[in-house]
Amino acid sequence: MTERSDPSGEQPTPSRLDRGPLREEVRREIRRLHQLSNRGLWGLAIFILISLGAQRNFNFLPTFSEGARAVLGAAPPVKLISIALVVYSFSALVLILSRMMGGTETYRGWAHLGYLSGFYFFYYYAEALPDNFWAVFAAGATILSLEYYAIWSYCSEAIRTEKELLGKLED
Amino acid sequence: MRSIAAKAVVPVAVAVTGFVVVCCILLYSFIKGDMLNSAIQREVSLAGIIVKSTRYAMLHDDRESLRNIISNIGEQSEVEHSRIFNHSGLIVYSSDPEEVNQLVDKKNAGCVGCHEKEVPATNLGPMEQARRFANEKGHHVVAITAPIYNEPSCSTAECHFHPANLKVLGTLDIGLSAEPLRATLATLAWRMVVFCLMVLVLTVGGVCALLRRNILLPITNLVAYANAATRGNTDAPPPGGIDEIEMLGQSLQSLALRLEKKDRELEALRGRGGEPVPTRPTPPDTFAD
Ligand code: HEC
Repeated sequence: MTERSDPSGEQPTPSRLDRGPLREEVRREIRRLHQLSNRGLWGLAIFILISLGAQRNFNFLPTFSEGARAVLGAAPPVKLISIALVVYSFSALVLILSRMMGGTETYRGWAHLGYLSGFYFFYYYAEALPDNFWAVFAAGATILSLEYYAIWSYCSEAIRTEKELLGKLED
Repeated sequence: MRSIAAKAVVPVAVAVTGFVVVCCILLYSFIKGDMLNSAIQREVSLAGIIVKSTRYAMLHDDRESLRNIISNIGEQSEVEHSRIFNHSGLIVYSSDPEEVNQLVDKKNAGCVGCHEKEVPATNLGPMEQARRFANEKGHHVVAITAPIYNEPSCSTAECHFHPANLKVLGTLDIGLSAEPLRATLATLAWRMVVFCLMVLVLTVGGVCALLRRNILLPITNLVAYANAATRGNTDAPPPGGIDEIEMLGQSLQSLALRLEKKDRELEALRGRGGEPVPTRPTPPDTFAD
């Protein structure tokens, strides 16, 4: 909740002229909140784009040459990557749910986008992406849509209070 | 989307179902890998048994019984193909008579395992011997290429002409149908889908039922009580259910009672003043919200 002091209640009725900039500020805040809630959609869209690439097993990327593989070393075992994916998605979901209870105004989707691409990459490097694509996709879709839901519900609530404030200012 | 039910159900349902789906998919791919591995192990030992059982016929250069062994094996319903190559890649015996005497390139899927480098490998691990593909009939096949090694008795048998420096005399290539494996995996996948749906229904249903029983019903009762109290009907006891709602109901009741008392006092004052006071109408107790 943005604690916004209600100026019309505290000051002895400011004149119409004084309310102009205040109204402008409230409108700006509403626009900002709209943008914030759209961020969740952007995160989902980018994730779907990355997943489309992963679904084709990144065949548009150059394959690893022997030399590059020698530098990077052996791929981690697929079972370990999968266990890491389970642990990651469990803790991410718990963190999102607890953040939802607190109702904070942060969007963590970008970081998750990074982790999820990392999982795609590790499976790709271990040459097990086709078998495990749907697992990463399901994890990403769940985490990012929850993240979107959190930021969206927070923003729509805040927008409602801002609109009420705007209504009071316009009276 | 402002109702409590939607706010509480959506995140819980998404989180629980999403996590269960991720676990199911990973479990499925673990199980798939394990089943495939054990199928390959079984097939490798089967190929070993076949090589061992042809050993006597080979030592005696008994081509007729070798041909019979291979074609009989090929009649088994699960066997998609079985063939023996000699060391230069010629198909000598096969369950499909048309294939016999065809020359196969070293670049073929079953041969590259050993023939990847300039100097061919003589040993292959069980997983490297296996290959999976769909044959021309559209059946999925797991095939094994097992080497037939040279032994002292092979190069010293009186009828024989294998030079002693040759290490691999030929290869046995046997392919078993993967359809039973695929069918098992498909039923497993369906069971997992049903399981996920059940988890979804249970979480959504459970959260809804709990919310309805513990939050929504008491709140509806409280709203009805508040409406009645506003109309001056304070006779009914405040609704119970959960502590917070009970407390809210009690403070509403005391508020209403105090208001009633003040009303009565005011009425009495006015009555002493001699002015007629219009009594507050008390509408019937309606449960509207
Ligand atoms: C177990 C490993 C192994 C497999 C499988 C195998 N080969 Fe070979 N192959 C060898 C070895 C080792 C030699 C070298 C001769 C030797 O030492 O026996 C050889 C030699 C040959 C040669 C003659 C030498 C040359 O390099 O031209 C041909 C031809 C050949 N293999 C074809 C095939 C074909 C075709 C297949 C697939 C059906 C096949 N091989 C599968 C191990 C294998």
